[in-house]
Amino acid sequence: MYRLALNMLFGDRAKLAMLLCGLAFSALLMAQQSSVFFGIMSWTYTPMVNIRAQVWVSDPMVEQVNDAKPLRDTDLGRVRSVDGVAWAAPLHTSFVQARMQDGNFKLITLVGIDADTFAGAPAVLTQGRIEDLRLPDTVIVDEWGASLMGRMGVGPDGKPRNTPLKVGDTFEINDIQARIVGICKVRRAFTGGPFVYTTYDRAKGYTLGARRTLSFMLVEPQKGVTPAELCGRIERDTGLKAWTSDTVIWNWGERSLARNTFWWFWTNTGIPFSFGTAVLLGLFVGIAISGQTFYSFVLENLKYFAAIKAMGAGMGVIARMLFVQAFTAGLIGFGLGAGMAQAIGRVMIEKGMPPFVMFPQILWATFALVLGISFVSAVIGIIKVSRVDAASVFRG
Amino acid sequence: MSHLAHTVAVRATGVDMFFGTPENQVVALKQADFEARRGELIMLVGPSGCGKTTLLSVIAGTLTPQAGTVEVFGQRLDGLGQEALTSFRRKNLGFVFQSFNLIPTLTVIENVMVPLLIQGRPYDEARARSLAIIEKVGLKGREEGRPNALSGGQQQRVAIARALVHEPPLLICDEPTSALDKDTGAHIMQLVRDLSRSPERCVVVVTHDHRIFRFADRIAEMEDGRISRVVDDPKLLDTSHL
Ligand SMILES: Nc1ncnc2c1ncn2[C@@H]1O[C@H](COP(=O)(O)OP(=O)(O)OP(=O)(O)O)[C@@H](O)[C@H]1O
Ligand SMILES: [Mg+2]
Repeated sequence: MYRLALNMLFGDRAKLAMLLCGLAFSALLMAQQSSVFFGIMSWTYTPMVNIRAQVWVSDPMVEQVNDAKPLRDTDLGRVRSVDGVAWAAPLHTSFVQARMQDGNFKLITLVGIDADTFAGAPAVLTQGRIEDLRLPDTVIVDEWGASLMGRMGVGPDGKPRNTPLKVGDTFEINDIQARIVGICKVRRAFTGGPFVYTTYDRAKGYTLGARRTLSFMLVEPQKGVTPAELCGRIERDTGLKAWTSDTVIWNWGERSLARNTFWWFWTNTGIPFSFGTAVLLGLFVGIAISGQTFYSFVLENLKYFAAIKAMGAGMGVIARMLFVQAFTAGLIGFGLGAGMAQAIGRVMIEKGMPPFVMFPQILWATFALVLGISFVSAVIGIIKVSRVDAASVFRG
Repeated sequence: MSHLAHTVAVRATGVDMFFGTPENQVVALKQADFEARRGELIMLVGPSGCGKTTLLSVIAGTLTPQAGTVEVFGQRLDGLGQEALTSFRRKNLGFVFQSFNLIPTLTVIENVMVPLLIQGRPYDEARARSLAIIEKVGLKGREEGRPNALSGGQQQRVAIARALVHEPPLLICDEPTSALDKDTGAHIMQLVRDLSRSPERCVVVVTHDHRIFRFADRIAEMEDGRISRVVDDPKLLDTSHL
């Protein structure tokens, strides 16, 4: 009978297509809305992704990565002396105004990295070499930032055109020249503008007013010491706060700065609420669409289930038939929807806009929701069929 | 057991069936007595609303009457629970409906297989047996098509194949020819009679269609919820209401 149940489902291509479209669309909607939501939320800990280090050390009062409370330069020595530290490098991050050649000001995220180790340097340079940062007055700008800071002009066709900054171009930070020697690829951030990398010492110069410039320390553990272990030692010996660079925001046990940042924004800002409503809307629309398409499928077949019941099929058999149909449609619909979400996500990740982070958890949750919808629809169908009395089959 | 007990296929005695609330009650059957014999094709006729379909449903175990006893091939239906009634129908009944009730998304042969699969028969066996009976109703070659691609008469033949594929003792037909033209209706009744002529079987047909009366062994007339008369010859019927 289950084979026939499937044939009933696949028998009407047009209706099956409708049903699958409804399910796939709602799965797509749910997965894609949540992915964009988490994408936006993950922008909050972008520095953790762009500035790579195993262990981050900060002032004890720091709660998240965008809120740097400066350390003393002497803290660097204290951390270096902690057992298990292979090396520790200074990091400066701040939001400063940059003055473009055309006189415009742009807010940038200035990142000063250690000129000896280049700890925290961008992973991918599309132009130039990281070593060129050792030349005077030099910076490396990220690709997206280069176009943000670019010059608006008029193209040969008369339309407005943006010319991105390129290697060799210059701008000024606090009246000090910055010459671009490289272009890097980094992830976008929620706060702040383009990422401008320079050396730690030069960053001090660029932010002349600042009394303390050490925002974080980037630490590498010795072989055989886990980041989490080292964090414990650093905190015990120095009284500073130490974090792992783990970006798995679900990992409650870990002392991850990314996770803390994520949940700090979650609880302290209106961002989850304002974007979360869009996600919820997606969920509701998804549930409504797939529930509705399923329900109409069941209604259309109600008459035939009544006949099968009259012919002597027990409710157990009919229930299982409906479950087979519902879950099969649910699985295929989810597969299509998730596949489309992946495909769209790939394009989005390529363009970087809007942000898109499809955690496996999102897929699992979507999967569970779609199957839940299938389950509920099947149960409603079963109740409907159990209510029709078998005698109704004799009525025209 | 007496000789009579052996010849009785269906016996309903003193059956009452009401619908609706006590204040607004519709009496469908009132002290109805009905008997059908093994090996016969009996027709139930009477004016619209007299209770034919209701009586058929009671015999089929899809409706449980408020009073009276029903016995089908020696099995008492009154007092059986839903599950037992379902199992009774699965083993003993074949249905032919006025509106065919074929599942449009399944092929002809899959429709015919349904009663066997409900009985838990293996798929391949069900397929082979269905193929054989499809051949008998003259639809060989159409088994992989959809019912909707067939004419009304052909669809009703599929329904007959489905009703008989599991060789049920009792075949129940409600208005099997009313959706068909005269010649097709006669063909269908001929088929029902040929396929079900057996001492082990009984066919009950509810109909308005006097053109098929000649296929009946006996005809039971109903009036106001009870059997008023049983005749052997259609010519003796009061056909004024038809
Ligand atoms: N489920 C039901 N609920 C309420 N009343 C019903 C129900 N089924 C039948 N009735 C009533 O019971 C009476 C007998 O109905 P039944 O369908 O048995 O008549 P019938 O002889 O088959 O009529 P027809 O020739 O029009 O098919 C009618 O008055 C009908 O309205
Ligand atoms: Mg009727």
